[in-house]
Amino acid sequence: MEFMTTASRAKKGVFLIGVLFSCTIMLGWADNWEDIRRESAKIKSVSAHFSQEKHIQILTRPLVSKGLFYFQAPDSVRWEYTSPVKSVLLMRKGDIRRYTVGSKGLVEDKGGSLESMQIVLQEISRWSTGQFTANEHFSASLKGGRGAKIILTPREKGLSSMILRIVITLSPDRPGVIKSVKIIESEGNYTLFEFADVQINGKISESLFREVI
Amino acid sequence: MKHFMLPVRWFLIFILIFLLISCSRLPVIKPVDQAVLPDIERRCHQPFVDIPYRFIHAIEVTLPGGGAGTVVGVTVVDPAAENIHSVIMTIEGFVLFDARYEREVRVDRAVPPFNAKHFAERLMEDVRLILVAPRGRPSIAGILENGSTICRYDISQGRILDLIIHQDKSWEIGLYSDSYETIRRVNASSVMDRIPKLIKLTAYDYWDYSLLLTLINAEPVLAGAIQLQPGESPDDE
Repeated sequence: MEFMTTASRAKKGVFLIGVLFSCTIMLGWADNWEDIRRESAKIKSVSAHFSQEKHIQILTRPLVSKGLFYFQAPDSVRWEYTSPVKSVLLMRKGDIRRYTVGSKGLVEDKGGSLESMQIVLQEISRWSTGQFTANEHFSASLKGGRGAKIILTPREKGLSSMILRIVITLSPDRPGVIKSVKIIESEGNYTLFEFADVQINGKISESLFREVI
Repeated sequence: MKHFMLPVRWFLIFILIFLLISCSRLPVIKPVDQAVLPDIERRCHQPFVDIPYRFIHAIEVTLPGGGAGTVVGVTVVDPAAENIHSVIMTIEGFVLFDARYEREVRVDRAVPPFNAKHFAERLMEDVRLILVAPRGRPSIAGILENGSTICRYDISQGRILDLIIHQDKSWEIGLYSDSYETIRRVNASSVMDRIPKLIKLTAYDYWDYSLLLTLINAEPVLAGAIQLQPGESPDDE
């Protein structure tokens, strides 16, 4: 009987510890901007796999693209698609280039759509280091707690005609890590980027941000 | 008088040569037995789908002056109604252009430079040329010197459309003006189950450009499926 009582107490203790631990996780690391800035400031590099789901009315199923993402503070980004269209975006010191595999092999894109991508990649650089507020393009609001969400709304009318809002979901259990980014262009038209196998502060070769292959 | 007549004669010779050269741009069609004409017409219909279809292509665009880029194109065609819904987006998913043709062109979204005047109409004409069978029956049908099947259609504004089906099932389209100048050329290759893996369109009129379409996916669509699928709202905010 005494044994049962001890066992019962132990179970209760484990249960309470479990509850407390869960609560700690539930509180999350992103309850306010200061928490986010503090945790994100520790991030110097990120490498991850990403999947991109394009949802739009014309598609009954989302169009899924896959690729690799590399970030090195302060502003180097490599955004590489492996399928269905092989393409690499390189951003380094504000300079952005895109290469796409086509009929003539790997060719630099000389189209005009890079300006908008430059804005997006610069934003990703900022987000990766926790800089969501004091942004010239977007105003930010935070829904804190476990799996906190940051909602970015364009400040300018020109940008808001292209993007309604951006919802960034933070990892519930990995401080400083972004779980997904949803770019909503209009109701029913959005792109969801989800990150997996995220490596923080690992060594990334500098050449990855300079060379395509 | 003699001084005047000579230039006129030369002018007429020049016109004759010009017309001969122009006419020679159209492929020479060898006539066939009337009994095989229905079969030839049937073969000329093979490149085009009979039911609503959705195509997703990677599109390499080459512009005059060396401009080039790759976008993703999603197109739904309903051949019976001749409706077209076309969306062009960047590889990253940004929608640059979204328009429908349902008796008339309606543009839902067009980001510069896709908002240029007449861009939507011309894009829809290109899509129609590639994915929708020419209206009516051919004015002439037969075979070419190399054995390929050809159907020639007289279409609007005096233009002529040649549809050539090769023996390996690859096909091509030549679109000519009323003076037999080439306006568009389409070459489709690597055809499987009537759907080409590669389509190249070259335009020669307003400004020269070329589009190389590489198939990502093609699938039948339920008629009216687009209307039945209003855009879902993001649910995780």
